[in-house]
Amino acid sequence: MAEWPQNPRLISTEIPRVDGLGKASGRTKYPSDVHPEGMLFAAMLYSPHAHARIKKIDTSRAERIPGVRAIHLLAQEGATLRYQGDDIAAVAADTEEIARDGVRAIEVEYEVLPHVATESQAMAEGAPRVNPRGNVQKGRAQINGDPDAAIETADAVIEGEYSVPVITHVCLETHGLTVRWDSDRTITAWSSTQNVMGVSQELGGAFNIPPTNVTTLTEVMGGGFGSKFSADSWGIAAAELAKKTGKPVRLFLDRAQEHMAAGNRPSATGKIRLGAAKDGKLVAMIAQTHGTGGVARGAGFPLPYVYAVPHSRREHSDVFLNGGNARAMRAPGHPEGCCLMEAAMDDLAEKLGVDPLEMRLKNLPEGDFKTPIYEAEIRLGAEAIGWSKRKPRGQAEGRGPIRIGYGMGLHTWGGGGAQDKQVSCIINPDGSVELRSATQDIGTGARTILAIIAAEVLGLEVDQIHSNIGNSSFPPGQASGGSTTTPSMAPPALNAATQARDELFRRVGRAINEDPAGMSLAGGKLLINGKEAMSFAEACRKLGMMPISVTAGFSEGLTSSGVGGCQFAEVEVDLETGVVRVKKIVAVQDSGLILDMLTWRSQVYGGVIGGLNYALFEERVMDPTTGLFLNPDMELYKLAGASDIPEIEVIAYHTPEMRARGVIGVGEPPTISTAAAIGNAVSNAIGVRVPRWPMTPMNVLNALAQVS
Amino acid sequence: MRAFEYASPTSIADAVKALGGSGSSAALAGGTDLISRMKDDIVRPARVVYVKGIPELSGIRVEGSVVTLGAATRLVDLVQHAALAELAPAVRQAALEVGSPQIRNMATLGGNLCQRPCDWYFRNGFGLLGGRKQGRNLVRELEGEYAPIDVEETAHLVRDGDNRYAAIFMTDGDALYAHSSSLAPPLIALGATATLVGPDGERTVPVAELYRIPQSAGESELTLRPGELLTQVRFTAGPRNATYEVRQKQSHDWPLVLCSVALTMDGDRVSKASVVLGSVAPIPYRAEAAERAITGHVVSTETAEAAGQAAVEGAKPLSMNGYKVTLTRTAVKRALLAAVGQRYWEG
Repeated sequence: MAEWPQNPRLISTEIPRVDGLGKASGRTKYPSDVHPEGMLFAAMLYSPHAHARIKKIDTSRAERIPGVRAIHLLAQEGATLRYQGDDIAAVAADTEEIARDGVRAIEVEYEVLPHVATESQAMAEGAPRVNPRGNVQKGRAQINGDPDAAIETADAVIEGEYSVPVITHVCLETHGLTVRWDSDRTITAWSSTQNVMGVSQELGGAFNIPPTNVTTLTEVMGGGFGSKFSADSWGIAAAELAKKTGKPVRLFLDRAQEHMAAGNRPSATGKIRLGAAKDGKLVAMIAQTHGTGGVARGAGFPLPYVYAVPHSRREHSDVFLNGGNARAMRAPGHPEGCCLMEAAMDDLAEKLGVDPLEMRLKNLPEGDFKTPIYEAEIRLGAEAIGWSKRKPRGQAEGRGPIRIGYGMGLHTWGGGGAQDKQVSCIINPDGSVELRSATQDIGTGARTILAIIAAEVLGLEVDQIHSNIGNSSFPPGQASGGSTTTPSMAPPALNAATQARDELFRRVGRAINEDPAGMSLAGGKLLINGKEAMSFAEACRKLGMMPISVTAGFSEGLTSSGVGGCQFAEVEVDLETGVVRVKKIVAVQDSGLILDMLTWRSQVYGGVIGGLNYALFEERVMDPTTGLFLNPDMELYKLAGASDIPEIEVIAYHTPEMRARGVIGVGEPPTISTAAAIGNAVSNAIGVRVPRWPMTPMNVLNALAQVS
Repeated sequence: MRAFEYASPTSIADAVKALGGSGSSAALAGGTDLISRMKDDIVRPARVVYVKGIPELSGIRVEGSVVTLGAATRLVDLVQHAALAELAPAVRQAALEVGSPQIRNMATLGGNLCQRPCDWYFRNGFGLLGGRKQGRNLVRELEGEYAPIDVEETAHLVRDGDNRYAAIFMTDGDALYAHSSSLAPPLIALGATATLVGPDGERTVPVAELYRIPQSAGESELTLRPGELLTQVRFTAGPRNATYEVRQKQSHDWPLVLCSVALTMDGDRVSKASVVLGSVAPIPYRAEAAERAITGHVVSTETAEAAGQAAVEGAKPLSMNGYKVTLTRTAVKRALLAAVGQRYWEG
């Protein structure tokens, strides 16, 4: 089986993404840009209420609007709507405007039901029930050792309550697809998805046709972050409308419903007691936590996080309320656990008078393979941020009302691959090379990564490889979640390209009567016993009429799992306004063998920027009286603009030992500890803990007011 | 968005005629506020009258110390005008911090003065008074979309709800939104007047009188009469002036609190002060106590601080927005210091 080359020509260098120019210039067609001949536009009617029953629904007025072609009900009379944004109906029309007119013309009579829209409403005594088993569902306590006895022996104990809010994915391209029935049993769907195969399976299942009859195409897509694994109710509704009308139908959510219904990261609140010995060594943790995933479960998160806590008890409750359901979001659970853990660590270090960096080094799990990696990464990060300039909390330097603070956080993630995926490598007699797999590029550069691997093996340039993905009819590929795409797809790509190369050697050898064992490929040439024999294209012509087509899968030794990383933040906080400006983030990350330094760094930048938004800006705001989502936009749901992005220094921990581990995914880990590091930096700057994220002027000034 | 008639007049007279016709109408300039309200179904004008094609509505004229600004002058033009930067830095600074470059390239002075409040209850269809009630039923002003929900008769969406961005002054009534025009405070501080042309002719009012606190459901906070068009704003330069905006983001964001000041000096001392706050009350809010506090004094960190403290006396914040009292104190202090070219820290 193939191995990663010892002295690669392309792998681990900086290769621009092959589809970068098309994306940057606007030429590339996203699924929402695809307009097949005769296409209709569809729009959704969704619940204007936090909680209601549909008494009556009348579509006749909408049907009479000229240009309205079909209406599909997703909720029937008698159905209960559980949050604002819950599906009711989809309308297909000649134009988007007519579709929206049609939506407004549907007459629905609602019986409004009592709601709980905030966690405090949901947790109140006698609150209306969202879940028949109660709004607060307690999980089994996780107990390790004897925390009650142990915490009594600690030299210092802190007790804090920390919280992070619900945030949403805010995919730039909203959820949706364009769907066409090619016959009464075959479908083509242009879907904005991170899972082309899953969309085919769901659409096939919904219409009782084989999934292989559904071709899902995702050449590129505008962000998913964990929220786009499914065809979704609206995708199936679009296919229903397409079936009814006999025309292709395009249905993409509007921004408001995208916020309300297309997923979110659950909130997390933790009441944490953390104790340590004088030297900073942790002794025990006792934590009660809760969070909400709206009408769904899924607000769990890891705690304790990263550090070795000898004795701990953690009780967690999922809180149900009338809000859209949570979906996986970039490193599910980890940013929440990281914020809470790292805040408590810093507060305890402060109480003990120990440097928080030293405190972290002291509490890495002994004997864990990641511990020396963390130690090295922390050293690199501390150097890059200038940790030596950090002053103890409350003694921060600054000018006028501005205080400068430093903070840090550690994170961990898996990032291993699946072992059941395949890639085809096709070498054509004209010298062209194509890779095929039913995976897709969620933005990590999957297409580029596969092309690099094949180009490396075949002695070609990256742009000579046609890397064909985003098509469910190709050999089974990985869904893009859990940072698994690259580690799942790189081994089959390497194996397919290597086997295709060997097949080329055999067939050319037969044609020109040479021993394949002496053949190699380099610089676009076929070499025999190290001597240039012919160009790659000439060699391919020896194939005659018959291309080479090899489909290969996983093999051992090419990938691994389990990464660490740390981030450091430098912030400036204005004590008189509570405004936080992040000056610099240092992100140190390991992820085994890095295939393309450019796309890898781009993942880390993106992760850090997502983490910065979580730290400073993002928050779903629910109205207690009406139960409505007050900021389902991109204006009062705040997100960083270019001028809010600080200097970001990305440090790849890419030693020979790391390379030897093989490929590991990097999509999620770099977004985990940013908000924790920024939160700690703010506390360091202003001298008090800001216990609630995001670090808004309101939350910062409230924390300052608590002490004065 | 609903269908509407569209007019594109090239003279003020034709614009007024179009605005005053039967049915509701709205003047469209940059569209950065109006179009999103129409998309969200918060307003449904039967007729939209595009006014940027009227030549005399745009432009900045400086004659001696008198500055005349056409209502359809784009914000970017206010930012880039050299003489205006000299005479009215308070106006330039306020314009500079509105929206994003794309918005400033489209949005106009008149549009900013007449934009509707950036308040999430208003933008969700609940009006400006915390929700209209029929008995115990709350009504959402989006046609065909909302069944009344049962609430307490004393319920007030802003008072009972998420009021982090709401008013901290004049909060005894029902109008608790924060007025969000960035250009009103500097122009009011400079004593600017606005010219309005309508079916009954032309009238000139102080910019401050463009606004009122709505008392009944559906009543606007703008005093423009039906069919009236804001054509220009005029002020006499002279006072030292500045604007300080507290905003969370550096990119596109709304002010949390904005303060504009205009100071007439007698030597080093302030002989007359005008201190106007934005985003703290349902109308641009004149901080008279701060004006009194600074008058007669040299502006220093101490006197500016005292004026900031005076400004917030009488503030009645709501359940969540007490932090805006601190922001107000700070904004007043910093605007005063900026007006005399002082900063109390470097860098």
